[in-house]
Amino acid sequence: MTWLKLVEGYMPMQMITELAICILAFSIVNYLLKRAGMGLPKFWAGIFVFAFVLWYLKYRIYPPIPFSVRAIYGTVTACGIFMWVSGSQPEWEEFKRPIINVLDAKTGFTKAMRLALLILLPIGLWGFAYNSFLPSFDEPIELRTVHPAPPATTKVHGKTYVLQTASNPYRINPQGKYDQGYTDSHIVDQSMGRLMKNVNSAEDNPWDPNAKGYIKHVREGGEIFFQNCHFCHGDNLNGRGLWAFAFNPIPANFTDAGTIAQLQETFVFWRVAKGGIGLPGEGFPWASVMPPWEQHLTVDEIWKVVMFEYWHTGYYPRTWD
Amino acid sequence: MGRLFNQMTRGKKKLFAVSALGMMGGLLLLPVLLSMTAVAGGGGAPAGGPPADVVAAQKAGAEGEEKKVEMGRDVYYKTEGPVIGMPAPITADNETYYPRYNFESRVLLWVANQQHLYYGSFVLAVPIFCMCIEFAGMVSKDKAMAKKYDQLAYDFIKISLTAYSLTAILGGILIFTFLTLYPAFFGYLSGIFRPVMHIYALMFVAESGTLYIYYYGWDKMREGVLKWLHLSMSVVLNVIGTTLMMLANSWIGFMMSPAGVDEQGRFLGNIWHVIHTALWNPLNVHRILGNMAFGGGVVAAYAAYRFLSSKTDEERAHYDWMGYIAMSLGVAFLIPLPFAGYWLMREVYAYRQQMGITLMGGLLAWLFIIQATMIGILFLTTNYYLWQALGRMTGGERFQKYIKYLVFILVVGLLVFITPHTIVMSPAELKAMGGQQHPVLGNYGVMSAKNGGINAIIMTTILSFIWYQRGNRVPTVSWAKFGNIFMGCFFVVAQINNIWLACYGYFIPANVRIGLSVPQVAGTLSCLLLMTPLNLAMLKGARPLGPIQWGKIAPRSQYALIMLATAFTWMMGLMGYIRSSVRLFWHVNEVMRDNSPWAYTHTIGFAANVISFNVLFFWVTIMFVFWLGTLGAKKVPVTAPAGQPIPSPQPATGH
Repeated sequence: MTWLKLVEGYMPMQMITELAICILAFSIVNYLLKRAGMGLPKFWAGIFVFAFVLWYLKYRIYPPIPFSVRAIYGTVTACGIFMWVSGSQPEWEEFKRPIINVLDAKTGFTKAMRLALLILLPIGLWGFAYNSFLPSFDEPIELRTVHPAPPATTKVHGKTYVLQTASNPYRINPQGKYDQGYTDSHIVDQSMGRLMKNVNSAEDNPWDPNAKGYIKHVREGGEIFFQNCHFCHGDNLNGRGLWAFAFNPIPANFTDAGTIAQLQETFVFWRVAKGGIGLPGEGFPWASVMPPWEQHLTVDEIWKVVMFEYWHTGYYPRTWD
Repeated sequence: MGRLFNQMTRGKKKLFAVSALGMMGGLLLLPVLLSMTAVAGGGGAPAGGPPADVVAAQKAGAEGEEKKVEMGRDVYYKTEGPVIGMPAPITADNETYYPRYNFESRVLLWVANQQHLYYGSFVLAVPIFCMCIEFAGMVSKDKAMAKKYDQLAYDFIKISLTAYSLTAILGGILIFTFLTLYPAFFGYLSGIFRPVMHIYALMFVAESGTLYIYYYGWDKMREGVLKWLHLSMSVVLNVIGTTLMMLANSWIGFMMSPAGVDEQGRFLGNIWHVIHTALWNPLNVHRILGNMAFGGGVVAAYAAYRFLSSKTDEERAHYDWMGYIAMSLGVAFLIPLPFAGYWLMREVYAYRQQMGITLMGGLLAWLFIIQATMIGILFLTTNYYLWQALGRMTGGERFQKYIKYLVFILVVGLLVFITPHTIVMSPAELKAMGGQQHPVLGNYGVMSAKNGGINAIIMTTILSFIWYQRGNRVPTVSWAKFGNIFMGCFFVVAQINNIWLACYGYFIPANVRIGLSVPQVAGTLSCLLLMTPLNLAMLKGARPLGPIQWGKIAPRSQYALIMLATAFTWMMGLMGYIRSSVRLFWHVNEVMRDNSPWAYTHTIGFAANVISFNVLFFWVTIMFVFWLGTLGAKKVPVTAPAGQPIPSPQPATGH
């Protein structure tokens, strides 16, 4: 169902709002039907809501949600529906009634239903068991550790960096002092579709001829990025580079709130310097083809490119103060 | 004359009883006081000191000249201190350092430790409840109610008495397991903590003595001054119990974040540094709250079990009430528990960034998702129980029709709260998704959204509780309408504030975002601390719609209580495993390496199976304890018939 767009930047709240609107609409319709004497029995109302949520998760949200997450969501939804239908004794009685009626089988219809269930349930279970035992040729499921814990220190070009305390030497204010507050205030504006805050200002536009200090280093970092990184990470830093889909998994999407926005700048420095091959044991299954960039770039170049990534995405590196 | 003589004899008896108990208490505490002086003196004998022959050789060599004292630097406090202990042993994978059966030693130790901890937590929590309930009974003006409270406290302590014996037995098993399977590590740890080990053992003696007098003296110390003395003994009991727990916490605190030793693990003479490590206090607070919530859950499960097996309405009424009180106490400590956990994690990050990332972003992150699921289950079950409890009140049905809206908020809050950051998926799914992060759900996987989710759940729980308090009453104060509007607005604004901050968190730096949790939590706590008293004020002189019909609750509610207790137990097992496995291949983090063949992290499935086994084992044994409790029961401890109103004051909730 891609005709109804998920609006970038608002997608998480859009999903919750859509679900809320649908369930509210269902409640209103059911209320009106009840007033007209045609209300949906609780049993079927519960099944309808459950089926709707499963449908919504599978067909409305794109890209597709992995099965493990849909299974979690489906289970929680089922628990929620149980809490709703059994919240009070009268509601629970109403919910149980069709089940009890079928089990008691006092009419011809319920007798037929009971017989059908008696035949269909074991067949269904047999089918489920048969499917489970069928040999599968799918690749196995992976629980990939995306952000393995970094080492306490890392040695790059002969110098040791303490990851908890090291800082980017180019993250400086006009006075040449390390100043995260200053640099944070001159990144692109997320709320404006990642545009520069003031294209005419030498403090905000890295390509301004008068740019100096931090913003000039961002430009240098950008040049390094477009010479080395954008083939995989994409020219919009969203992990959709020219070669990206030759890899599985595709390269990291820096514009996602779950990647560099969650990390300390030194973490990114370490990952860039050491690449996929330098991932620790915790980084199983080491699914990363990123080269160890320390073999191709200087320390200064790595710091600059890291700074460019934060500038361009509009995110701030994590700090612990 | 005879009357006067009788009075004097009675007075003397009382005086004698008080003096005897005072002396007994003093004697029980004497070992502790003596041991404390040893600690003040620097911990007595050098911990883990060199063997006697080395000492003799040193003495001989240094004869006539002044002995040079080697100084070491504390790995955490960075202070200088004299090296008076042996370095941490460098072990190897052999039978000398790691004697073994044909089974994984770590799992044996894990099970022994977990069982001891379950029972330890239970017997530490229950006396605190007893103290509160006994006090409530003593200050209650209603004689019938006072008697019920007293009986309830007695029932509680009766359960814990058998559990106490089991705790001691399991403690013995744990020590033997340590000694036989990890002798080098245990030798090192007991060397470092030698003075405290003695205090621990002596405090156990004090705890046992106080507990037995407290229990067996219940009937003798029923009236007047003696009753107050009895209550004060419960205070002593709890002080000792809490100190015991804090001492045990210092060992695990040392293993996670060692202090008081140098880089080689040599003791530097300051036992306080060894105890007071970076994580000790957060662990203490987290464990006290956790124990209380767990204890409440277990007692509630006991009451549920007795309710479901009751033969008469009177029994059902009593155990319904008991389950309600135990659940309320457990939940009262459950609510601040996430905040204490947050503090602990903050301190973990401050201590070692890698440790924090391993826990919450890396290797163990999926276990935290399971933990979030368990927390969600606890809150959802609590809500469910309260909704069911509305059913035993006339007038409760007014609120039951709104349950579906609360369900929606709870389910959405939980879905956000448990969305994993690292998703389990097949490579084909990964490719279809176009990267590791899902563009819609990925945002739920980070802290900002999760804070919003859990706060929404807690606020909804508070609302359910307020509805429960109002179940069978209608406020009649003149400002009732205004109060209702104010309360409604307050909840709506708090919820909007919570959701808004959860969204805003994506647009600001991480260090500022962490700070956003303060106004979010403030909103939630304001709902709890302002709206609950406001509700009680509104209910003063309220018009009753009907009695609370204790025992007339749906059996589903009792299964909810059992589920609550099981979830507590499972979560404790899980969090204990996470806390322990974050050390990875260290016995003592960065000081003593684990060179056993089991120095790897288990798969999630295996860990979950062992946790489930521990939970099952605990529940089987505690069922035995419950059964023992029923053997001693001579009569049904309740006077009010089912379906009849219980006179106020009601349990601690003010209901």
